[in-house]
Amino acid sequence: MSPPSSLPDARPAFSWSGPTLAGLGLIAIAACGLAPGLKENPLARWILADTLAPARVLPLIGLGAMFALIAGRALLAALLLFALGIVAGLVAEDRLLALLDHLPRAATSLFYAGPISYLASGATLVVSARWRIRLTPPAALIFGAMLGLTIKLTDPSLHEPAFTATPLLAACWIVAAVTLTLRAFWRGWFPVFGRILGSWLLAIGLLYGGASLVPKREPPPPAVSLPPPSAPGAERAIPGLPVPDEPAPFPGGDRFKQP
Amino acid sequence: MQSRKHLSWSTLGIGICLGLLPFPAAAHIIQGAQGGFGSGFEHPLTGPDHFLAMFAVGLWGAQMGGRSVWTLPVTFPMIMVAGGVIGMIGIPLPGIEIGIALSILALGLAISLAWRPAEWFALVLIAYFALCHGYAHGAELPLAADPADYAIGFVLATGMIHLFGIGVGLALHKPMHGKLARALGALIGLGGIYFLVPAVLAA
Repeated sequence: MSPPSSLPDARPAFSWSGPTLAGLGLIAIAACGLAPGLKENPLARWILADTLAPARVLPLIGLGAMFALIAGRALLAALLLFALGIVAGLVAEDRLLALLDHLPRAATSLFYAGPISYLASGATLVVSARWRIRLTPPAALIFGAMLGLTIKLTDPSLHEPAFTATPLLAACWIVAAVTLTLRAFWRGWFPVFGRILGSWLLAIGLLYGGASLVPKREPPPPAVSLPPPSAPGAERAIPGLPVPDEPAPFPGGDRFKQP
Repeated sequence: MQSRKHLSWSTLGIGICLGLLPFPAAAHIIQGAQGGFGSGFEHPLTGPDHFLAMFAVGLWGAQMGGRSVWTLPVTFPMIMVAGGVIGMIGIPLPGIEIGIALSILALGLAISLAWRPAEWFALVLIAYFALCHGYAHGAELPLAADPADYAIGFVLATGMIHLFGIGVGLALHKPMHGKLARALGALIGLGGIYFLVPAVLAA
């Protein structure tokens, strides 16, 4: 499969913009995790634990790949609708939540924002190039709305602007780094790999959504085979039963020990 | 043709001999609670039955060539999800362990015989196998401590094994007229018998 003819050739000056962006971001992440001042910062810790969790990063990589596989007006429309979706997710949060609340167990599953993001990016990547051009703009709108909603729902600070802007910046960084890198180092097999990646994202979205829809079950207790009571050492196999050779510990006895 | 027959009969003979050995029953469904990304990622890589089937899907697709290189690995996870959802809901589906073992045996035989069926037929076959594998893992998912991370780890590892199978298949396509890939298929088929015998005995 050859790349879409409308994809522009990357200019030498811009060809390293994607990897440079990715490198700078990774340095910033490393600084958040290692620098003594930033390490204890609640915002930095939250970004590392929540915004950059695998479940949040993977659909963003998918979106970056989606943008890399289209060009021209379709790309422009997709970028605009992505931005519009983010604004809608941040501003019209209540309306979106009311809409998603019709889904069962929505409130306990972050209103399915995660699975919907996976499905939007996966479905767009897995289809043929012709359908991808048509599906990417609406999928980008849905994705943007879910991204905005997730940022609002997972905000631990009660409307601190930094806790909205930083995860948004991190998400845009991931998407831009992936898109620019793929476009700069284009290979003919990218669309095929895009379809394979799309099938993974779809599968994850459906499993993730399905697991959230199904009530959580308790794991079955481990099978314990007990020896007959007459068997030597049987008392050791029964948890909680005092062993005759060892006296039962006196409760709180360690308090009387000399340091 | 002669060598193909010879290979398949020798595969069957060795397989039956190995099958008669007292192997422990294959346990595909893991007991107890699963963790997050780590245990999801680790599960396909450490479960030899799942690993062999995923690897064989990629290898067979590469051996068939053309669109099958990607249609087989793309179809597998999507149908696997359907099986996963059936497993999650808890609908009983008998013979899953046998289906998983059969998938390894059938894929191994298909590779060893360099079988190139019509694409739709290969996809139907793959879909059935994916249903069996998906069911086994779907039953586990609601038990997972973090279903999202578990699903991500599990699907990523599965996809990577597919890619590994495609890579090996493409690398072995030319040398010795693809005989190495066929020999690998015979070994996978033996693995299928290894898992099939205890699964049938336990049924």
